[in-house]
Amino acid sequence: MGISHINRRQAMAALAASATFPLLPGAAQAQSFAGRKLVSSGFGGSTMDIIQAAVFTPFDKESGASTTQVPMQSAAALARMKAEAGNPQIDMFQFSGGQEAFAKSEGLSQPMAGVSRMAQIPAALKDPDGHWVTWAVIAEGIVYNKDKIKTPPTSYKDFLKPEYKGHIAFPAITNGYGVDFLVMLAKAFGGSEDNIEPGFEAMKKIKGETIFKAASDLPTLFGQGDIWIMPYDTGNTFKLQQAGLPVAFATPQEGSPAVNITACVAKGAKNADVAGAAIDMMLKPEAQIEIARRMRWTASNPETKLPADLAAEVPAVDKLAQLDRDKINAKRASWIERWNREIAR
Amino acid sequence: MARFAPVLLFAPCAFAYAVFFIWPQASLLAMSATEKAGFTLAQYERFFVDSYYWEMLGRTLWLGFAVTAITLLLGVPTAYLLARSQSRWASFLLLLTTFPLLVSAVVRSFGWMVLFFRDGLLSRTLLALGIVNHPVQTMYTMTGVIIALAQVLLPLMILTLHGVFKSIDRDLEYAAMSLGARPSVALGLVTFRLASGGIVAGSLLVFSLAISAFATPSLVGGARANVMATAIYEQAVELLDWPFAAALATILLVVVLAVSLAYGALLEGRADKEASR
Repeated sequence: MGISHINRRQAMAALAASATFPLLPGAAQAQSFAGRKLVSSGFGGSTMDIIQAAVFTPFDKESGASTTQVPMQSAAALARMKAEAGNPQIDMFQFSGGQEAFAKSEGLSQPMAGVSRMAQIPAALKDPDGHWVTWAVIAEGIVYNKDKIKTPPTSYKDFLKPEYKGHIAFPAITNGYGVDFLVMLAKAFGGSEDNIEPGFEAMKKIKGETIFKAASDLPTLFGQGDIWIMPYDTGNTFKLQQAGLPVAFATPQEGSPAVNITACVAKGAKNADVAGAAIDMMLKPEAQIEIARRMRWTASNPETKLPADLAAEVPAVDKLAQLDRDKINAKRASWIERWNREIAR
Repeated sequence: MARFAPVLLFAPCAFAYAVFFIWPQASLLAMSATEKAGFTLAQYERFFVDSYYWEMLGRTLWLGFAVTAITLLLGVPTAYLLARSQSRWASFLLLLTTFPLLVSAVVRSFGWMVLFFRDGLLSRTLLALGIVNHPVQTMYTMTGVIIALAQVLLPLMILTLHGVFKSIDRDLEYAAMSLGARPSVALGLVTFRLASGGIVAGSLLVFSLAISAFATPSLVGGARANVMATAIYEQAVELLDWPFAAALATILLVVVLAVSLAYGALLEGRADKEASR
């Protein structure tokens, strides 16, 4: 179905390109998708622009395709993917909240073809059936105002310290980081993904603090909001630092949860072949170094060798804690129900 | 042919409503009341047996009433003065009142953030004036949502009322005064009574927009200001529970309809009673 509108010459060229690929990497791929259009979901804002510059612009130049990102938060992107099931208008999706597992189980994604670098990615960071792959990882931890807090926080337990009272913020549970914060609080107080009770107990003690929904509120929170400490990530800490705010990132002793940034191809996508090649570009070490340099996101491809100065600022992927996303996804709905009643009320 | 003229005039609008409103609403209704086995009221039961959702519905209605009351309180005098003013600035001032409508909800909400946070302008001003003795946070509260929505919906109230006041003949007031009514009595007995239709229309417009608003409650209200619209978004987009989201949407629609009919009947009924007295 997807191949019918590709004319024969293009199909032959693509075949020829893939056949010669092992002999002449890069060069053989040249302009194989000339005139084709790829539509991807994107994260919006500067993140989307940086991904465009680091991945899609070089990809377009190399392949002749032209790629557009449509800004959408992960949850909204999944809803769009579901709404367009069978006739997707968006070829590939980028997720940051574990939505790729749901997309696969609902039959919304398909095995990717033409992603030759998939073999280089550790098994934990990709789907065994090739439905999705993690192309970058964000490290979560504690973001704090270093003018107000002189000794860096060391643990998620620090959120209960009385001296920070009234200056704490944390994301709502509908934000992916909100769920992870709940899980990490549970872990800090003896619980786990299976035993979330200690997490709710601890969070109840700070339920009167500032609760926000989106990362776009961060600059105002640290600016006009008089917030000193919150659970967030390396990427946004870097953005705030670039905006001139006196913030720093601390890795908690309970571990920095990894947030996997994944890519997948919609089932029945008209440009599935182009999407596969674009995702292969996302896994390319050069692209991953650029992403690390401009956003402090961790590379997922172990072949990526960061320059020493960058390596000091970006935690390596094997140093991050992988939470049990399957268990979290299975319980998310009931946790949200409970959170709405016990924390946000 | 003349017999069909009304039908023809009505047809385009009816067609657009059928395709873009009635059909989607009917599909929502169907989605909320079906499961694999067939017809079910489980989604509605889930709503009505849970005090959490009652509380949310109450909060939504409270938001609607509060915003309507504020816009009426501020809108009636403003619209009256603008309609009666002889100044050549009047039309320019009327244009100025519509400015909040020209700014996107997202940009407006970021503006409120700067004002509403604990270290923001509002808190600092109240502290400096000695009205409060510790910083106050209006951001992420229902109060903040009410203020922000009242600001953006006020122009709709003023525009609606302005048109009505403008159409009321000034001579009627003069006639009442010439028969011995004090100006304030003439205003109340004649002008405001004649304007009651406009007041109903403006209030219903503001009320229905306030309780169905999504962007402002979500951005200014944050996680705690849970209203029906944000809950529908959460169920549909975050949790992908479309049947329950459809049920919430249907309940919201029915409640708006009921409140609107009751409010309209109340005001018009009162006007009728007074007229027959």
